[in-house]
Amino acid sequence: MQALQSSLFAVREYLSPVLKESKFKEHGRITPEEFVAAGDFLVYKFPVWTWEKGDASKTRDFLPSDKQYLVTRGVPCLRRATSLAYTDADEDAERLLSFADSSAPSADGDEWVETHAGRQAHRTDSATNAGEIADIPDLDGDGPHDYEERIAKGLGGVSLGGGGEGAATETPDLDDIPDMEEEDLEEGDDEATAAPKVSVKPAAGVVDASTVEVAKGNLLQVRTYDVMITYDKYYQTPRVWLIGYDENRTPLTPSQIFQDISADHAQKTVTIEPFIHSASLQAASVHPCKHASVMKKVIERMNNSVVEEQLAQRGKPSPSGKDTPKKEKKWPFSRKSSGSAKDVQPQAGGEEEEVEGMRVDFYLVVFLKFIASIVPTIEVDSTTSF
Amino acid sequence: MPIVQFAPFSSLVQPSFWHKLTDLKVDVLKLSDDHIPVSASYSVGRTVKDRETGQEVALGCNLTVGSESFEDDHKPPSGLVLATGTFKNFNTIEEFKAADKTALFNQEAQHIWDHILTTRDSSLLNRFLLITYADLKNYKYYYWFAFPAFVSKPAWEIAEEGWKSATEEFKPEQLAEIHGHIRAQTTPSPFFLVREEAGTTSIAPVESYESFFTSSSTSHTVAFIDPSANPQNPGWPLRNLFAYLRALYPTKTASIRVLCWRDSELPSSEWKSRFGVVQIAGDPIEGRPTAVGWEKNPQGKLGPRIADLAPMMDPTRLAAQAV
Repeated sequence: MQALQSSLFAVREYLSPVLKESKFKEHGRITPEEFVAAGDFLVYKFPVWTWEKGDASKTRDFLPSDKQYLVTRGVPCLRRATSLAYTDADEDAERLLSFADSSAPSADGDEWVETHAGRQAHRTDSATNAGEIADIPDLDGDGPHDYEERIAKGLGGVSLGGGGEGAATETPDLDDIPDMEEEDLEEGDDEATAAPKVSVKPAAGVVDASTVEVAKGNLLQVRTYDVMITYDKYYQTPRVWLIGYDENRTPLTPSQIFQDISADHAQKTVTIEPFIHSASLQAASVHPCKHASVMKKVIERMNNSVVEEQLAQRGKPSPSGKDTPKKEKKWPFSRKSSGSAKDVQPQAGGEEEEVEGMRVDFYLVVFLKFIASIVPTIEVDSTTSF
Repeated sequence: MPIVQFAPFSSLVQPSFWHKLTDLKVDVLKLSDDHIPVSASYSVGRTVKDRETGQEVALGCNLTVGSESFEDDHKPPSGLVLATGTFKNFNTIEEFKAADKTALFNQEAQHIWDHILTTRDSSLLNRFLLITYADLKNYKYYYWFAFPAFVSKPAWEIAEEGWKSATEEFKPEQLAEIHGHIRAQTTPSPFFLVREEAGTTSIAPVESYESFFTSSSTSHTVAFIDPSANPQNPGWPLRNLFAYLRALYPTKTASIRVLCWRDSELPSSEWKSRFGVVQIAGDPIEGRPTAVGWEKNPQGKLGPRIADLAPMMDPTRLAAQAV
């Protein structure tokens, strides 16, 4: 069913024309050229992102051959989103964030709500807790190296959730997995090898990932993700793909990946699909059908504040009549920091039509902030220092 | 004085590597189990700030292989260091099990050692070995990495205060200067030398050890791109760099100033690079030192790892979860 759907989508995307006209402020969609421009800006500002060319047979001709998609590797994910179940109590902890001025919320409502601010991971007890249940597919979908552990936990034959993974495939016989420990390969323990699991005194404020304990007493399981951003021609928006690894750097199963996606999106807008720039790779993807409308709203709000800011910088009163103080801004949507030739726009008259507003270069920076709300525990948004 | 402990490499195999191997196995290798050159990459050690506790969490000391690893002339993206290695795929699990791993390992170690002595070249110090068995029908890949590193006897020791922040030894301007030099290289070299002369800080390849460290310059430091982010453990590549220096310059290297380079970008707050002065007693032994470096599996034992890609490759499993 899904394979059919995927290929249908592929055909639909193939047939849809390439967007030519810039519309990003009107409906949140961008052209391939704008995608490249925004991508170039992202790569320039945040070198963790790089352009990739992907599989040669999958090259899409409306994008430059060496700039097919963006990728960043090894993005850390310290906690599971499932442990961030959102309760009423947390609503009290919400904070309003303003992009125009981070210190004082402005009156016209261009703030974002920051949820999960300063929260501790939930201390959970097994009777009432949902996280415990969500952990089970994890055991179920794991590789054979976990079977011993599974049996030890008395869960060997039980298949709970996980889309019947245990039932769908033959459970490999334990005999199939050869005992390949070869302790005699190296003589004794090498004293100069740092033991990874030994708790090291956190010197200089840095702790080893394997020794961090969360409030619950569990070891922190640091997963890492490879995050890819492609251009979706049908929806005319960027699209995000995820490939995850657990703390032992074993690839994550779909059900494990869904633990890192907020409950509102897991298995609704996030699905496992063939990655469009590879012949065979599968990755989790956030379906882009709602991206444009969300981006439109976000961009509208930001654009307003940027326009206001720019007007204020010209020493003109802003349309709302509110005086935005000329202070050091945190958000860089100003002409001053955009560093392009447009910086030297003539000041003549200072007509409001000349105000440029938000530039399309920032599209992906904003997009990442939006994606960060879908995958709250994956640190995709490296732009917070921005 | 405490013994210097090195953070071992941890292999990170991207799924695309297994996809590429599957294609290679079916279309090119078929039943061949010859040695194939392969490349991998690593970057400076990274830390991430835990938003809930405010602690800096060190991420692993990763060596990554991906689909590009089989390409001959692969250039890693900027900021990544390339390591080359030998890849060998076995046709059956029995062969994989029965393989003379000690011989394979020693062959690699000997290769590194010979290369040091004959060419005085540091390019092979990060060489690694990867043996695999691909169970294509079940989408399971058995693999075992080895990162041969020479064991120093006696061990290297570091002064009681341990590794400290590089800013305690270098001025921020000096570090910025070093950063600029590293960025200016077309292909970043994993190891380099740092010296100060007439107020300027400059770097050079380790091969020019004797000519670069002259009596007119000061602050002679050996540096390397450090994949470890752990404050008290320098990364694995330093081990072979030490072996290299001890083998070629035994009289000058009883004490070495080491800079563990961990800043890929100019830092906004503080530098992450570490500095330490290490010492060794006695003369280097004749001949090749013993080597260690088989990667341990998730249980902490010496054994192969298994990547089970069935959940992400098996059509029936994929269909099952897509409801």
